[in-house]
Amino acid sequence: MNRNLRNRICVLAALFMMLLPAGCSWNGETRSREYTNTPKGNFMALWTIMDEHYCFFDFKKETLGVDWDEVKVRYAASISDDLSDRSLFEILCKMIGELRDGHVNLTSQYDYGRNWSWKTDHPANFSKDLQDKYLGTDYIIGGNGYSYRVLDDNIGYLVVESFESAMSDNRLNIMFNNMALCNGIIIDIRDNGGGQLTASESLASRFTEKKVTVSYTCYKTGPGHNDFSKLYKNELSPAEYDLRWIKPVVVLTNRGCFSSANDFAFTMKALDNVTLMGDTTGGGGGMPMSSELPNGWVVRFSSAPTFDADMNHVEAGVAPHIRVDMKDEDIRAGVDTYIESARAYINDKLKNF
Amino acid sequence: MTGSCRCSNGLTAVLAAVLMSLLPLQAMAQRKAWVLPGEEETFRVFSVAGGTTFARDTYLSASRYNGWAVGFENDSWSGSTPEKRFSYVRNYSSLFFSPLTNRLKGGSTLEAGGSDYLSFMYPAVSCSACDLLIGPAVMFEGVVLYNEQNSNNPVNFSGYMGAGLCVDNTFRFSLFRYPMALQATLYVPIAGIGFAPDYDQPYYYMYKYGGFDKALHFITPFNNPAVMQQVALILPCRGNLIRLGYSFDYSGNHLGGHSRNIGTGLFSIGCVYRFQSKKWDI
Repeated sequence: MNRNLRNRICVLAALFMMLLPAGCSWNGETRSREYTNTPKGNFMALWTIMDEHYCFFDFKKETLGVDWDEVKVRYAASISDDLSDRSLFEILCKMIGELRDGHVNLTSQYDYGRNWSWKTDHPANFSKDLQDKYLGTDYIIGGNGYSYRVLDDNIGYLVVESFESAMSDNRLNIMFNNMALCNGIIIDIRDNGGGQLTASESLASRFTEKKVTVSYTCYKTGPGHNDFSKLYKNELSPAEYDLRWIKPVVVLTNRGCFSSANDFAFTMKALDNVTLMGDTTGGGGGMPMSSELPNGWVVRFSSAPTFDADMNHVEAGVAPHIRVDMKDEDIRAGVDTYIESARAYINDKLKNF
Repeated sequence: MTGSCRCSNGLTAVLAAVLMSLLPLQAMAQRKAWVLPGEEETFRVFSVAGGTTFARDTYLSASRYNGWAVGFENDSWSGSTPEKRFSYVRNYSSLFFSPLTNRLKGGSTLEAGGSDYLSFMYPAVSCSACDLLIGPAVMFEGVVLYNEQNSNNPVNFSGYMGAGLCVDNTFRFSLFRYPMALQATLYVPIAGIGFAPDYDQPYYYMYKYGGFDKALHFITPFNNPAVMQQVALILPCRGNLIRLGYSFDYSGNHLGGHSRNIGTGLFSIGCVYRFQSKKWDI
């Protein structure tokens, strides 16, 4: 091979290498679907994201009669490309609202789209004023969202407003030390909208002496409505090297208990010394994920379903052991029916012990 | 930096040997024209880089994000001894960081990535004006995306470790009597292991229940079309060699049911250093 030919080969090879990446980039981009930023494009993007990633279609069809394909046809009729952003947002919110799932939301500059009928369609069974009355003014703040005191009949009363953050191990130990002589403990999680799973598990692990299977979970492995992974067993292990509570526990629940609070409810329900009292929880049994529409609006949806220890869906809530409803006359008299029922239950249990 | 010592004390000799082994290379300005490193010789180019990047990861968002990027590059060339199989060993590594926004500026994502390409090359064509080097390469690449809008799944990592091919072409020429070199490099992974969550597998589940193996995928150019290309001009400047480069790193995988397209184009400027291995007389 003469020198000129070699040089030409090298130059051609260099040019080839300079041009190649653009072709590869183009190839990669075309292999993934992207919708246009028009009302129709955003509508299709939202419908498809939900269709391929939402995990409760079969359950919603069974319990609410929601047919996602029929929903598409019905709502597509009202989508046109001259629709204003605000109107589009309202229509899309209505569409995802059909699923009546608190973990399904659409966020835009206009509003936070949601359907909270899982809570608003039911009695509140909760009065913040009454709760504050029972806590008094000398209660102890054990962390962000955690308050407690010992009631007059020697029963501990812990209010967990949120699981956004966990109560530290040290503070939990101090709380159990403060309540060491109590006959039982009431954990009030009414209107707790959830937070972190680790926070609810951390608290629940103080109420068991042995490893207990509390739930099963899986996640979506493909776009089909029934593409799920194998079931993973969720076991609650006792908190090691820390104080644990083995006396009676009553957990107060209402329809406002959602997401991690729902998880806390079914986790505690699986334990021997725990009684759930009140109303069915609000549900939220799917771990949520988020995605984005071409116009930048964020959609959140449930993507990983959870089942309780008996393999029941917890998306529609966890039923209590003992059903209790707030009585109007009690409210008027400044009495919280839930807390009084829990106190009576623990005191009865103590008498019969 | 050369030197010798004669020690009667064995311990002192050992300590000296250890200290010297930490400094086996001699740094000096590069020659006035770019040539491939000779035996026991190492050229190293440290560069700072800036450019643009785009990312679209459907695990996090269906939208494409764009932004500027800053980074560092370290490119090391070593000439091997004649008895070794490959004539040159090249190690190119880079780190970059980028804040990204979607096209409506309504969302933001932070991106951080790094890569390391280790190639073993021999000259396929070599003459006074050009060198065409070809050889196998081991490649590591990883990118972390943090989507600030996603409250429940804000982070995703994608990356691969693979074996592939490296082609490097250097063309030497003179401009206004200044010796220069135009260098073009291409890395293409052919097979390896890629990481991507199994469709909607939450990272929390990976941590809590295991199933990490579900996130590992065998990669080929069909499901992980990736390429790293670099074009550089090496020119003399006040007795040193300066390298002006442009690198484009693209990775577009379709693993675990999601697609990712991440591309980073960086302009870089760096100085070429030459290091010479020395044998120490003790």
